[in-house]
Parts: sequence; structure tokens; C-alpha cells
Amino acid sequence: MSLPATDRPYFRSRHLEFIVVGVLLLLLTVIFPLLNAHGLLSDFTITLWGKYLCYALLAISVDLLWGYTGLLSLGQALFFSLGGYMFGMYLMLQIGMLGSYAKSGQNPNGLPDFMVFLGHTFLPPFWRPFQSFGFSVLMVFVIPGLLALAFGFLAFRSRIKGVYFSILTQALTYGAALMFFRNDFTMGGNNGFTDFKLILGHSLVDNDTGPATMRGLFIASALVLLTVCLFCHWLNGTKFGLVRQAIRDGENRVLFSGYATANFKLFVFVVAAFIAAVGGALFVPQAGIINPDQMTPDKSIEAVVWVAVGGRGTLIGPIIGAISINALRSWATQAYPDSWLIILGLIFLLVVLFLPGGMVSLPGKIKALRKSQGKPVEPAVARA
Amino acid sequence: MVWKSFRPLLLCTLVVGVGLLADVRAMAAPETARATIVRAILTSDDAQKHTIINSLIGQGDEAIREIFTAWRQDNLYIYTAPNGAKIPVELTGDKDADGTQAAVRVDSGEPLKDASGQPLRLVAKQLTAVEHDASLRRVMKNVVDLLDLGSPLPAKRLRAVQTIGFAQKADKLPVLEARTGIETDTEIKKELREAIALIHLADPDDGVKIKALVVLQELHNSSSYDLINALRAKAEKDNKPAVTAAAHSALLAIDHHRSVVKFFGTLFRGLSAGSVLLVVALGLAITFGLMGVINMAHGEMITVGAYATYITQNVFGAGMNFTLPFIKIAIHLPGLHLTGWAYQLYFLVAIPIGFLSAALVGIALERSVIRFLYRRPLESLLATFGVSLILQQMFKLTFGSNNVNVDSPVYLSSNWTVFDVTFDWNRVFVIGFAVVIVFGVWLALTKTPLGLLIRCVMQNRMMASCMGVRTERVNMLTFGLGSGLAGLAGVFVTQLGTVGPSMGQEYIVDSFMTVVVGGVGSIFGTVVSALGIGLTDQSLQQILLNPVLGKILVLLAIILFLQWRPTGLFSARSRSLD
Repeated sequence: MSLPATDRPYFRSRHLEFIVVGVLLLLLTVIFPLLNAHGLLSDFTITLWGKYLCYALLAISVDLLWGYTGLLSLGQALFFSLGGYMFGMYLMLQIGMLGSYAKSGQNPNGLPDFMVFLGHTFLPPFWRPFQSFGFSVLMVFVIPGLLALAFGFLAFRSRIKGVYFSILTQALTYGAALMFFRNDFTMGGNNGFTDFKLILGHSLVDNDTGPATMRGLFIASALVLLTVCLFCHWLNGTKFGLVRQAIRDGENRVLFSGYATANFKLFVFVVAAFIAAVGGALFVPQAGIINPDQMTPDKSIEAVVWVAVGGRGTLIGPIIGAISINALRSWATQAYPDSWLIILGLIFLLVVLFLPGGMVSLPGKIKALRKSQGKPVEPAVARA
Repeated sequence: MVWKSFRPLLLCTLVVGVGLLADVRAMAAPETARATIVRAILTSDDAQKHTIINSLIGQGDEAIREIFTAWRQDNLYIYTAPNGAKIPVELTGDKDADGTQAAVRVDSGEPLKDASGQPLRLVAKQLTAVEHDASLRRVMKNVVDLLDLGSPLPAKRLRAVQTIGFAQKADKLPVLEARTGIETDTEIKKELREAIALIHLADPDDGVKIKALVVLQELHNSSSYDLINALRAKAEKDNKPAVTAAAHSALLAIDHHRSVVKFFGTLFRGLSAGSVLLVVALGLAITFGLMGVINMAHGEMITVGAYATYITQNVFGAGMNFTLPFIKIAIHLPGLHLTGWAYQLYFLVAIPIGFLSAALVGIALERSVIRFLYRRPLESLLATFGVSLILQQMFKLTFGSNNVNVDSPVYLSSNWTVFDVTFDWNRVFVIGFAVVIVFGVWLALTKTPLGLLIRCVMQNRMMASCMGVRTERVNMLTFGLGSGLAGLAGVFVTQLGTVGPSMGQEYIVDSFMTVVVGGVGSIFGTVVSALGIGLTDQSLQQILLNPVLGKILVLLAIILFLQWRPTGLFSARSRSLD
């Protein structure tokens, strides 16, 4: 799994890398909202970048598993959407009497609109606690965490690894998406949750106060991302972090050295689920919608590609990858709507074939190329 | 010139000749329905009229319905010919300025002509109308109701018997009993017995009812369920234990029969669903199981096969035009404009075309992408997913994002019904095809030189290479074979599902699961797991009445199954760790 020398990341020291990431994120946290408050940056851009930061969280969760532990999970979009759905339930209940059915007097109990549409007259019991912000935030962690714990326990106990792990997580995501597509699951079916109005009493849609709320959400996303980076940086330095990378590079050796690799993997899997879920929870109020389309295996694979493009096994790689690919998407779906999927597919292909270390390894490659140009060409015999 | 002047004369002779012939035939044959009706019209005695009309019962001539309709709508008149003969006619068509209408003879259905052979047009007011009263109309309606019983088409007779049975009218009994004697079709005979029993159910006598129930119990046809159920409820209310008990046991027999039919139906559907899964997964069992390549574009190979079928169909028909995206090359495929059986053969031609086109796309994919990734299976997953996105978008841009229509050939669009279990030909075909393909793959892998090479390269690529096997070529051909099998699957999913740019995605997760459950590297395991998953899926659908929930449960069951056998049902044993 270890990469050839020219594909290694640019940064010599992981501390230097963390400092660069930290400073950049801090600047983002301060500068973007300031510019926006003074009208130099549009509200649209702030929301867009807020979403990019949430995607970066998803990418970090993939990197934690794939880049550092060698587990290619195709279920991270599931945890991301589950977090989003949990927080979305809170946001749906906040709409209350502001919904379109309530306005026309057809919804005396303040149910979410889709339930009225499906003929419900009272709130299903499991929805009720989601009136509380605290409980919803708790559930953002508990539900994806429990699912990851149960699935990870079963998978790692029977030593499912490599591509089998990928295929199983893909099937899990597929099954969950099928379930959320159903109307009688009372999670909004096809259309999911949308049309949010309030978060903690602040309006998300009001022309005057809306942008300030969005700014707040942007700052929150950036700070969470910073915290997650700090956590990952700390984890990489611990003995735990080293064992984890050893599992990636030679699981059997670690196993025979007396480490219960399944427990290590399970821990990382649950932590990654937490990170993805928080990303999802922050994503939903900024995107204004969550539906089962976000939950498909395709979305998981896309997140893996962000990591591959940025550079796996690094801290900065997934962030760069998530932001650059999504920025490219925002531009290309406008400029070349027909070709966007082909561009994305080509990026998949080219990165895997020619740039396994991702964008982070580019400077190193260029340097190596320059060095070899200065030297005389090695005789071909030496290679053979 | 001479010929031209003789032509009218010749024509006249011909017409007269044909007319004479027709007359001779009519005399030889028994009296036609039309002639009987003419006799009825010209009879003045009402009772005799009814008898004559009733004698028509059991005949299937459609003319009876037409004439009786005209009669009841007051369109029949009696025309008195110059020689005094009375000819009943039907006046049809619009009235012209003088109020005349075209006249059609009731006895022949031909236009009424005068002595010189010109069609006559008559005025309704100058003729004697053929009259009818309420009792006559009732008699006519009865004849029309029973008309289909005598129809030459068995399907029509069957439906007529059923309708009469469900109406439960005792006055129809003699007709049905008479029909039982004439009828030769066994299925209609059975239906006649049922109809008679159903009419007996409405009989006031309990003994007759119980006898009828015994017959119905023996026939256990589920269409009589509702009537029997209603009878049981009524008998219970009226406190008639004997009738209730007979009805109850008849219902039990029907229920039992229903569950047996349902069981075999589910078994059959499960087998055919498993066969689809099998053919889709078989290609994957080769590329993934034997070669270790995660080909996420496998679903698109299925799509290639399906679109190849679509194109073949169009070439056999009217031809088609499409433009390749980006390079903007317009392609015109001329059509062969075939019809009938020649056109129906397109599906058989599409089978090799689907295989070859998918195999070629597969080989191109192997040469350009996959051969660089044999040591990095996880990355082959990402790269081939990229390929899958590109191919899907290409299909969308070439053939449009809507589903396209692939016709079912005649020989696949009917069904057999054996003991009430329906066997659709397309599903039977899928099962048979799967058997042939599995056998073919087994032969190819174990009995051919290429199969030997494939197996040795897959076991130890390095060693095979050292022995002089051209591993690169074997890889290419193996991948081509796997993709070609997906193409074959694509050809016949056109008969079961929709054909569109993203159709491959429906199968990809299922087929990966099939290979994993069967045991990676084992073709036999794939066969067993495909049939197992297909059957489980269909049974759960029947039990839960909910396809999605069934699918989710199957996925859960697979995850739990892998706890028990992490390497699948039949895995290659090896002492190596990874």
C-alpha cells in the first residue's frame, strides 16, 4: 500500500502540514465571513463554500479509513446522509406552522408538509424528541455511530477486508437508500426533507437575517473542520495512529504481533462515521435539502475520488480534493452540463492511473523530474 | 379494340355464373341463420315466430347479432318485389334528398338489386316495417346472449360460458346442458360443468346446492370463490349446517389449490429471477472471481448488450440514425424492412451480436485501463467506476436519456398455463438460456486449451508467464469473455426489464453480492448463490407483499451469512493468508 517515493506527499514534516492546514482554515473562518459582512463576497459564495467544507469533512472520514487504515468504505455517504437526516428531522419540526399546509389551515398539528401530504394526522412517536435541538445533535452521533458499530463489529469479526469490505459497505448503503426512498418509512421518501425555515430561532430564509445565519453556519463548519483536523493530527502522532497505519501496510504482521486489529479498525470506522455524520448535519441547513440521492453508493465512491485527487494518507489532501472537485462541479455543470459526468469519469481514470499520490504529490513529482533532467540519462541495463 | 367492347358482356356472364354457383351451394347446405330469420320474419303467427327464433340458439353466426339489432332498432322492412315475392331488407346508410336509403337483403347480406342488376334505393315510409313486441325482444335477446356459445373461437366460447355461469340464471341451464353434449374442447367442458354448478348454487333446493358444491370442490377453480363464500355466509345466517359444511369444504379445496399454484408460481419466478442474476453474475464471477478485478463498469457491459439488441431490432425494421457525441459523426444504419417471421428472428441474431460487442468493449477497457491495475484491486474499482460514469453519459448522449423500446418476439411473448400456473415464455427462455450458458462456460473453462490457460494464469500469473504463457493475451481474452457474458445478459434483460442508459446500475450491487456469497473464484458457487438469492428474493416478495423490503432483508441476510462463511459458499482452499 505504501506509495513510491515520487508519489509521497510534499510535506516533509506532518507538523508543518498541520500548521499550514490550520492557518489556512483559520484564515477562511475569519476572512470569508468578514468579506461577506461588508458585502464583498456574495451570500451565495458563502453558502457554497460552507457546503464545500462539509464535503471536506466527508472526505476526511474517507481518508481516515482508506488513506490511513487501508479500508475502502463505500458507506461514508450513508453516514453523511444519516447525520443529515437526523438534523433534518429537527429542522423539519422547526418549520411547524410556517409550512404551506399550515398556512392554508390544513395542518393544525404543525406536521412536516410531506406527512400531511401522505395523510398523517399526528406525529409518529419516534419523531417527537426531535423537537429538541440537543437531542437531535445527540442523535447525529448516536444513530450513525451505532450503525457503524454494529456493521463494523460483524464485518471485522469475520475478517472481511479489502474489496469484500468495499462491496459489503456498498450493499449496506444501497439497502439503506432503498429504505429511505420508501414513503411509509416517514422520512420524506423520494423528496426527502426540504423547505427549512428556522434553526435555533434564527431564520434561514429571511432576506435580512438569513445571510447572518448562513455566515454563522459557515463559521461553525470551518471550526468543526479545524477541530477534526486537530484530532486527526493528534491521532496520527499517537501509538494508536501508528498501529493503524501498520494495519494498512501489513495487517497480518500486526495481527501476529499480538494486536487485535479488529478493535482498532472498529474504532476508526466508528470515528469516521461520526465525522461524516457531523459533516452531513452541517450540510443540510446550508444546502436546504436532504434526500436519498445523497445516500447512494455512487456518492460514496465520489467522495473516495475527492480523496484520491487530493492525496490520500495526508491531512490536507482530502480538503483540497473535496473543495477543488466540487468547485469544478459547480462550474462545469453550468458551463458543460452534458460533459460533466465524462469529465468526472476522466478525472477518476487519470488520477488512478497517473497520479496515485494525488495533487499533494505533484510538487514532489515535478522536483524529481527537474532533478532527472539535470542528470545524464541512466543506462537502460541498470533497470533491467 | 374488339376485346374492349366485349368486356362488359364478359363481366355480366361472370357475375351470373358466380351467382348461380352460390345458389347451388346454398341449396346443398343446411338452412343458414339468415334464412331462418327470414322465415321468422315472414311468419305471421307469434308462437311459431318464437319457436323459429329459439331454434337459432347454439349457432355462432355473427350475422344473427347484426340482424336482431337492426330489427330492434326498426331498420327491417319487407319489400315486395314486382313478381310478388316478399323480401325482408335492412335499410342502412344516410337518407338522400328523396328520403331513400340503401337496402340490404336479410337473406344474403347483399345489396338488393332490381331486374337489371342495379342496386335499389328504397324509401322507408313506402315499405311494411317488420314489427316486434316485448316478448319477441326478450326471445331475441336470449338468442344473442347465447350467441357466443356457438362461436367457432374457443376463447369466445369459454368467456360466454363463464359469463352465463356467473349470472346464475336458471333459464340458461338447458342450453348449457345441450352444449355439454356437443362441446369437444376439454377446458370448455370443465368450464361448462362449473357454470352449471354455479347456476345450481342459486337453486332453492338445498340438495341441489350441496351436489353443486361437491362439483365445485372437485373443480376448485378460484373464480367461483366469491359466489361460494356468499352462499356460505347466507347459509350460516339461515342456519343450514349441511350447506355451510359443503361450502366450507369447497372453499378449503379452493384455498389449498390457490396456495399450491402460488407456491409453484413463486418457485418459477424465483428460478427465472435467479437465472437473470446468474447470467449477469457469471461474467462478474470471471472478471472479479478469477481475475480479481473489481469492474464497476460491468453493469455498462450489460447496457452494451441491451443497446446492441435495440440496434439489431432497428436494422431488421426501419433502420435508425444516431450521432456519436463530441466527434459529431452521424451514423445512418439502413433498415432491412423485414416483416413477419423474418423480423421476429432479430432476437436470435442479437444474441451473438450482444456478446461480441460487449466483449469488444471489454477488451478495449482491459487494454486501456485495467491491465495497469492488476496489482491494485481497490484502485481498479475507482478507475472502472470512472469508466462506468463515462459510458453511461455516452449512452445518454447517443440514445437519449429515455428508455428505448425493444419488442418482444412472438416466440417469447406468450405463455403456457399448466394446472393454473402461468409459465411465461420469456422466463422459460431465460432459465433455459442460463443453463446453456453455464454449461458453455464450464466447457470453455475446463475442456478447451484457452480454458486451461485461463485457469493457470489466474492461479499463478508469474509462474504461467515463466512457462511461456502469454499472460497479457490470456488476461485480455478472459476479460473479453467476462464482458461478453454480461453482454449476453443484456440481450435478454431487454425481454424482462427496461432498456435505458443507467439500466446497468440496477444489477451491479446484486451481482457483486452473488459472487461474494457464492465464493470468489467458484463458478459453481455463483450458480448456487444466484438461484438461492433469486428464490429468497421472490419468496420474501410474496410473503411481505413488498419488493423493496424483501430486497433489504436479502441484503441483511447476506451480511449475516458472511458471518457464518466469510469466504462464501464454495471458496478455493489455500494456505496463503491473503
